[in-house]
Amino acid sequence: MQIICISRYSYGYGKELAEKLAAKLGYECIGREELTDQATASGIPVGKLEMAIMKRHALSEELAIEMDRFKAFLTASLCEKALNSGPNGGIVYHGRTVHLILPGLTHIMRVRAIADMEDRIEMAMQRLHLTREKAKSYNEQVDEDIRRWVRFFYNVNWEDPSLYDVTINSAHLSIENAASALMHMAQLPEFQVTPALKQTIEDLLLASRCRTAIGNDERTREVKATVRAQKGNVSITYLPRHSRQAQYIPQILENIQGIRSLTCTVATTNILCIQEEFDPGAPSFQHLIEVAEKWNAAVELIRLAAQQGAGSAVEPEDHNAPLTERSAKDNGGILDDVPDSKEELGHGLPEAMNKLIQVGRAGAVHTVYGGAQALEGRLSKTEKYSLIVVGDVFMSRGAAVQKRMKRDLISLLIDHIHVPVIGTEDLKEQYLFGPKQWLETIGYAIASALLYMGVLTYQGPILQFLSTPGTQHRIIAAIAIGLFAPVAAFIIGGLAHNILKAAKLE
Amino acid sequence: MTAEMANLFIDVTWSVAIQMMFLGFIGGILSGFIGSGGAFFMTPGMMNIGVMGPVAVASNITHKFGKAMVGSKKHSELGNVDKKLAFFMLITAAVGIRLAVWCMKILTGGGGGHGAETGAGANLYISLVFVIILLLVSLSMLRDILRSRKGDETGPSTRIVNFLDKLRLHPLIYFPVADVRVSLWVVLICGLATGYLAGTIGVGGFIGVPAMIYVFGVPAAVAAGSELYLAMYMGAFGALSYAFEGLVDIRMTMLLFAGSLVGVYIGAYGTKVVKEVIIRLVTAVIIVLCVISRAIAIPMYLQQLGVLHFDPAYNSYFNSASKAMLYVAGISGGALILFFVFKAYFQRKKIQASLTAKIPEGAVRQFSTASA
Repeated sequence: MQIICISRYSYGYGKELAEKLAAKLGYECIGREELTDQATASGIPVGKLEMAIMKRHALSEELAIEMDRFKAFLTASLCEKALNSGPNGGIVYHGRTVHLILPGLTHIMRVRAIADMEDRIEMAMQRLHLTREKAKSYNEQVDEDIRRWVRFFYNVNWEDPSLYDVTINSAHLSIENAASALMHMAQLPEFQVTPALKQTIEDLLLASRCRTAIGNDERTREVKATVRAQKGNVSITYLPRHSRQAQYIPQILENIQGIRSLTCTVATTNILCIQEEFDPGAPSFQHLIEVAEKWNAAVELIRLAAQQGAGSAVEPEDHNAPLTERSAKDNGGILDDVPDSKEELGHGLPEAMNKLIQVGRAGAVHTVYGGAQALEGRLSKTEKYSLIVVGDVFMSRGAAVQKRMKRDLISLLIDHIHVPVIGTEDLKEQYLFGPKQWLETIGYAIASALLYMGVLTYQGPILQFLSTPGTQHRIIAAIAIGLFAPVAAFIIGGLAHNILKAAKLE
Repeated sequence: MTAEMANLFIDVTWSVAIQMMFLGFIGGILSGFIGSGGAFFMTPGMMNIGVMGPVAVASNITHKFGKAMVGSKKHSELGNVDKKLAFFMLITAAVGIRLAVWCMKILTGGGGGHGAETGAGANLYISLVFVIILLLVSLSMLRDILRSRKGDETGPSTRIVNFLDKLRLHPLIYFPVADVRVSLWVVLICGLATGYLAGTIGVGGFIGVPAMIYVFGVPAAVAAGSELYLAMYMGAFGALSYAFEGLVDIRMTMLLFAGSLVGVYIGAYGTKVVKEVIIRLVTAVIIVLCVISRAIAIPMYLQQLGVLHFDPAYNSYFNSASKAMLYVAGISGGALILFFVFKAYFQRKKIQASLTAKIPEGAVRQFSTASA
């Protein structure tokens, strides 16, 4: 079940490297082109999708749904092949940073293959019978297209070295030696599958199969659905305007093996809540539900646990390091990190989920083991959350350390996920209406009233002041306008915003 | 009020104040809903109330400055602002605004003649620019909608982007948030045009946003955010420039704020609940109606300038017809948006959102469920 992903240039030697490595390891070698052809054959317009992205078109809703289908197709294909390869097998994939489509699979060995531009030009000239200039221009164009595709598809910069574990440069290393080096590297504990990772692969496979089934059925083809799965519990969210078509979803998914329960939620957006322990009776959880109701959002829950089987999280020394990495040293690389179901279902998670189902705001539910970085690896950069709320995490630490680590986690998420991230303690103040907001509104109302009374009572003198000739006077008038306008906008805007917020219209 | 001031600024009666707030409200709704400044409705609306064109533009641009400051802060938080792109455009946008203010100054008295005494020259000039530019914008939007209905295109055309890509007019500058590489010259020219139009008709967004999308290839969300950020500086520069000329009527600005800052939040809420193609269609239709409204007023200005010869008594009919058409555009557009907004608002109240379903074969429920 090992997965090795090689990201390559056109006419680099990534494909040859992948084939050689797969042969050495006895793994199946899969190329992007192969999967793309299969996806096209199954009715996904990959060519149209590629053209739209290459030509920088904004995707229509129909094409955005096709993109989701394509992602689901890729995920399903890779997970299926990885699972079928058995515990000692694996797959080698060569294409464009496909590891980003498989969030949570921390054991993927991520390789980037680069080649000397001159060699690539030479190869393009030979294979495509082009002049040197045209071959160079061809390679540059394809590189730009890949860059754009990766940016659009995964929301990352293709050249960012932090996306890869190793970069192989053909200018200094033959294919044979590079493949040998990678083969040895693949034996490292960090790249071995653990039972928990196997479970993640199964979850991804189930979710992507459900998504593919929804996309393949004529009745639900146009539904913009987000599908999550955890241990057979499938959670689907879709937009209110697709409610009519979405009623067929349970029927469509009937024949998919492995589904234990299915939750469908109408939502226009998603809110992610990360905590170590969930208490559906806590005021912060109630605030979360209120915000979700206001925004018509589904709430996805992630329990962040730093140590499997423990009652509360114990952070590794380096809280950024995934726990699996640390523990792997003691277990020869194989870590039994699947918690028993009792452990998995504890910590208030089922009660919280039940509460969300009752109020109609249920999203998916996950448990992530490890620190901040493990969590970040789990969250997809292309996932559309409107808000991430971080509750109590790292609870085994002292109050001050807990506070600091939570702050660091929030900063990390803000930097990497690019959506608003706040603590549960700020939820009420930022997004709900309480006594403080009423006081603020009264303040804005008084200030606004004074502004209008002032301007309308003293119209004559004000206009006189603003239009009196003389350079010096005009400069003063311009400065006064420059200062007054934004202050007035801030006060009146604050009043309008608060009133609409109180009316739950925002 | 002195005679000179009375010539420039109108009296604010209750009727004027209510009309101004209404204009601001509709402009705000349109602004929040379609992402432009809403000036295409407010500027002619103010002119119809009797505010002199340059004063309407000046007061509107001052209002835009404050509003853009509040809006761009929100967009910044969402990562939709390419400050580098906005900065480069700002360089020539400032020149464009100065050019617009200079033209306006000549037409309102600096050059004598041109109907300066009645403001007809300036009004005609503003109306002509308004009609030509917004007609082009609305027609291209309608063409895009028709194309997308046929299903043969997936979004805005990239023909210009691809053409400029091939030209490779150096130096090329990379804008990291928008993730595009654009020729400096192209950016500067678009900045100049945006600034000039913002200064002339108070409508910068209608040029800035399409320019960023169609000419630079910037994603729509980043284009809207960056334009708002640019609008904040352009608005500031425009407001200061017009204030220096003594053309800003702060009373009008305040009355616009009262309506627009409520409307903008309601309009923005609408974008979350209404289909994109409907948003574009509503926008295009409203703009076309506003263009017709302004076009109806043009004969009146031509008569005042002595170019056309007919009984001046007809001018009031032209003005009324123009005003009626503008209100039809604004009220129907605003009502349509409000209809969608409140429909979604009340629907949301009714929806029992969570539907759970059981898979018959081998279903083992881990969580208790509730059906709607």
